[in-house]
Amino acid sequence: MAERETGGGPGRLLVAVYGIFALAAGARAAVQIATKFDEAPLAYVLSAFAAVVYVLATAALAIGGRASRRVAVAACSVELAGVLAVGTLSLADPAAFPDATVWSGYGRGYGFVPLVLPVAGLVWLWRTARTDRGRVVRPDGDG
Amino acid sequence: MSNALSTVVIVVALLAVAFSAVTALRNRPMGWGDLAALGVLEVALIAQAVVGFVKLSGGGGPSETATFVGYLLAALVIPPAGAGWGVLERSRWGPGVIVVAGLAIAVMVVRMRQIWDGTGG
Repeated sequence: MAERETGGGPGRLLVAVYGIFALAAGARAAVQIATKFDEAPLAYVLSAFAAVVYVLATAALAIGGRASRRVAVAACSVELAGVLAVGTLSLADPAAFPDATVWSGYGRGYGFVPLVLPVAGLVWLWRTARTDRGRVVRPDGDG
Repeated sequence: MSNALSTVVIVVALLAVAFSAVTALRNRPMGWGDLAALGVLEVALIAQAVVGFVKLSGGGGPSETATFVGYLLAALVIPPAGAGWGVLERSRWGPGVIVVAGLAIAVMVVRMRQIWDGTGG
């Protein structure tokens, strides 16, 4: 059975949103690090890290295939962990984050899309993976 | 940055979103209408970029010039990328991507206006 590509159909939407976030986070991190790194080094390093994760997720989802799928799962997981950890820390200790990152306040500055995106990514990877396995019947049926 | 022009860009972007959303909901692949909407959007963005750079060179730009220029240039890339995708994905998800692209541009223009005026996060 042909493997269902993660970059096709509805996956295109996901890749598009990921691409925009890769672009936004990358550009933002580049500007922050180039112009005012000393002001909030932790926040800017995190911005850059977030950008790398978004680029990886975008590429992995777009390319598809077994290896890319693993990379995509890892990237989405790291992203989810990151947005939860940084979101919590930024609310608990605002002094440590004098300037916002994509993940501050659970992605509040970006309409909470950074929080929704990794979940959507993981759900999509899981669903396409089930299709990959073919006719595996789950006891609770399939909608 | 021209407020009138940025309003035009936002309106054009949202019209493209609405048009492509209808295409997607009707379960059609991208058609000439979607493509034309993206074309008009790209022209509006180019006009905005030209006006933006002219105003920047005349001084009196925002304090975060680099960020502003980044937005100005990044926005130019998005409609062609959306169109390319619509050509590749011959299903409802082609116009679906155009919906995402148009929304992203509308948000970016709002951010550019905030940066120019020195307001907002």
